[in-house]
Amino acid sequence: MTVFWEIMVRAFQRQITYRAAALAGLATNLFFGFIKAAMVEAYYQNTQILSGMDVKAAVTYTVVTQALLGFLSIFGTFDLMRTIYRGEVATDLLKPISFLGLWMARDFGQSVAQLLLRGSVILLVYGLFMDMGFPESPMQWIYTVVSLLLGWTVWFVVRFLVNLGAFWSPDARGIARLCYAFTLLLSGLLMPIRLYPEWVQKFAAWTPFPYVLNTPMEIYSGVLSSQEMLHALVLQGIWLVALLILTQGVWQQASKRLMVLGG
Amino acid sequence: MHTFTVYVRLIHALVRSQLQYRVSFLMDLIATTFYTVLEFASLVLILGRIKTLGSWTIPEITLLYGLAELSFGIMDMAFAGFDPSIFGAFIRQGSLDQLMLRPVSLTVQVMGSDFGLRRLGKCLLGLVILLYGIWYAGIIWTPEKALLLLLVLIGMVLFFAGLFMIGSTITFWTVDSAEAMNILTYGGRAMIEYPMSIYQNWLRKIFTFVVPVIFLNYYPVLHLLDKPDPFGFPAWSHWLSPVVGCGIFLLAILFWRFGLKHYQSTGT
Repeated sequence: MTVFWEIMVRAFQRQITYRAAALAGLATNLFFGFIKAAMVEAYYQNTQILSGMDVKAAVTYTVVTQALLGFLSIFGTFDLMRTIYRGEVATDLLKPISFLGLWMARDFGQSVAQLLLRGSVILLVYGLFMDMGFPESPMQWIYTVVSLLLGWTVWFVVRFLVNLGAFWSPDARGIARLCYAFTLLLSGLLMPIRLYPEWVQKFAAWTPFPYVLNTPMEIYSGVLSSQEMLHALVLQGIWLVALLILTQGVWQQASKRLMVLGG
Repeated sequence: MHTFTVYVRLIHALVRSQLQYRVSFLMDLIATTFYTVLEFASLVLILGRIKTLGSWTIPEITLLYGLAELSFGIMDMAFAGFDPSIFGAFIRQGSLDQLMLRPVSLTVQVMGSDFGLRRLGKCLLGLVILLYGIWYAGIIWTPEKALLLLLVLIGMVLFFAGLFMIGSTITFWTVDSAEAMNILTYGGRAMIEYPMSIYQNWLRKIFTFVVPVIFLNYYPVLHLLDKPDPFGFPAWSHWLSPVVGCGIFLLAILFWRFGLKHYQSTGT
């Protein structure tokens, strides 16, 4: 656990050194948030409620999503892939921590830095300038935090799996880009999934994507009853376990390939 | 003529090298195009439920969207070397110094230093979206409108190319890539893909008087569709589109020349 902690702290420190990049990213996220909020409001011009979501909930959903982009590393990193191509992965395997744990620690450190540096500022700005809602009960706050952590882990595992593609394909970036493209629509990143036709919602539920962002955001914006919230958390948990089992299998195959290639 | 031949040769070499890894190239092409497909699908899926966005129908918005996507796509292919994120790395590695030693126009060399064939998918998609809009939005065509459409496309390509060049020139001084330019380039494109009437006043004012993207796409499409102007600009405002585009491009070229004159290598 101490190793995990140390790796995490180092990743955190590395993030806060690039201030100019952080500022540019912050400004971009803020700007696109305003655009998306304007679109959501336009969608509601002739209607009060869409699939049980009113305009305030939809705007809240959209702008809080912007604040979480950095935390969830939605646009992901290719770091793991790079270490595989360069063979640095061999050094990583010598470290006294499991490979998955190592990358989880690195990623989480980075995510926490993003949340503090970027997410908090974005929330503050939107809180000041927009009609944004907050969870109403302490219980809803707790559900939101738990769901967000589950969502983070689900997304981390999905990205881990995609990056492991580098063991098989000389250029796994294509696979990664395809995965991100799906994320755009099916995670609720562009617009709340509820606003889409029912068949899209049903289709999305069978992929891991909505459990990354849509679930925590639906809990936060208050469109779920307390029973539905619990149900949502359980679903997230099931997906996480399933993905972890899959990762274990894929990693075993991948490490075998590493022996063959690298000796 | 000579410079043009150089550009074509550079691009030809890049295209050939990209076609070496066919599977990888195809994956990239599909993924890049897919991104645009899903982004557009998101809009269409929601609009399919609510039918109109303000007073705008789906084909009308498609017209706006297609124009912006197509022109940005063309620009992104032809001027990829000026993409600030790519050019920034160029400067950091000192590659520009090498180009300066060659007896060919530096601008052309930079333009030809990158060419993503995978962006072809985005261009084609932009064209399809635009054609759908043109077909179904119910435009009453006149020769004047046809000319306008062509000039608007050229104007927008030049506008975004200008922003790319300005962003690249800034990296002469900042070395680090000018990421904040993304708000103007990608943000500007995102803005003009939707009717300007949906934005809050302050946001729209910035994009009217500071960075005048409102004239690029919105006013021409209002005119093509014979829609009334909610903001009361003069009736000829749609002709400002090519003017704004060319203006920014000229400014960008001057700024780029100025930057080149004062360029000091990083010494790498």
